[in-house]
Amino acid sequence: MVTKPSFSEEIANLLHATHANPVKTCIQCGMCSGSCPVARFMDYTPRRVIAMINAGLKDRVLAGNTFWYCASCYYCTVRCPRGIDIAELMYALKRYSIWKNQYKDGLVGPVFSETFVKTIVKSGRSYEPVLATSYLFTFGVQEFLQEAQTATSLMLKGRIPVFPPRIKRLENFRRMIKRIIPLGGD
Amino acid sequence: MSQQKKLLIIDDDPDFVQGLKSILEAAKYNVEAAYNPKDGFQALQTKHYDLLLLDIMMGRGAEGIMLARKLNKDPKLREIPVLIITGIREQIAFLFPGQAVHPHLLPVDELVEKPVEPALLLEKVSTLLQAAETRKAQTK
Repeated sequence: MVTKPSFSEEIANLLHATHANPVKTCIQCGMCSGSCPVARFMDYTPRRVIAMINAGLKDRVLAGNTFWYCASCYYCTVRCPRGIDIAELMYALKRYSIWKNQYKDGLVGPVFSETFVKTIVKSGRSYEPVLATSYLFTFGVQEFLQEAQTATSLMLKGRIPVFPPRIKRLENFRRMIKRIIPLGGD
Repeated sequence: MSQQKKLLIIDDDPDFVQGLKSILEAAKYNVEAAYNPKDGFQALQTKHYDLLLLDIMMGRGAEGIMLARKLNKDPKLREIPVLIITGIREQIAFLFPGQAVHPHLLPVDELVEKPVEPALLLEKVSTLLQAAETRKAQTK
């Protein structure tokens, strides 16, 4: 009979389909943290997050912002001497906190990914002006205006479409998505 | 007939599994659990179960669906009745704007949404077990 899994086993279960080494094989060398371009903005560096997972500090890991700040550059994964897929681990933590509704309020990440998925499912293409609303209002006035200015000039140059783009044969695309993720409706 | 029925739960949420287990064990079922689809599939292949209780959102995404499809292709495993228990509407709520979870999502026998009422769960489980038994008797 299987006993109730610990937090590190839960994370291992989320990662069962990756071909990388399990998180518990980490040797704490710090290569991931040293390589990470956004490590200085994180509450805990990737190395510490791995140590915390192995120590079973679930609440502290989920309360931290580390996995939301991950830029998915995969540099840590490439350089890890133990062959742990650290970027995938960050994704796993995102899923874990979204599925269990355990993320902090006011985070851009969850809203952003929700808006992104919605736009893709609806039109088959991403549309920046809609996406931007998920994080734009967290900015200060100056940044907001700057962003608006950039967007306007991009639009004038034709780099951002004025109307949301749509792909051809959207129905086929939606049927395809339906094979992968369950959608509501019809 | 009076033999104890063997159920398998595949769900990655340990707390939910514990809850389900206590409900089902109180109703005199023999319950086993697997916490990821890979272990679950292995268990299904090596042991015999009378019913499978399956979660949808596991691992990389909707892996429960993939597992259900895989079972459906296996001539032996497709005999096992599958009860899907999912919290998918809560997990990716934005994909279900006010609608029911897609009924033709995949060929399974029954789908209930989390949180599950114990009485409803037990009722569904016993109906499915009974249906499987009649099916078996008919093929014999």
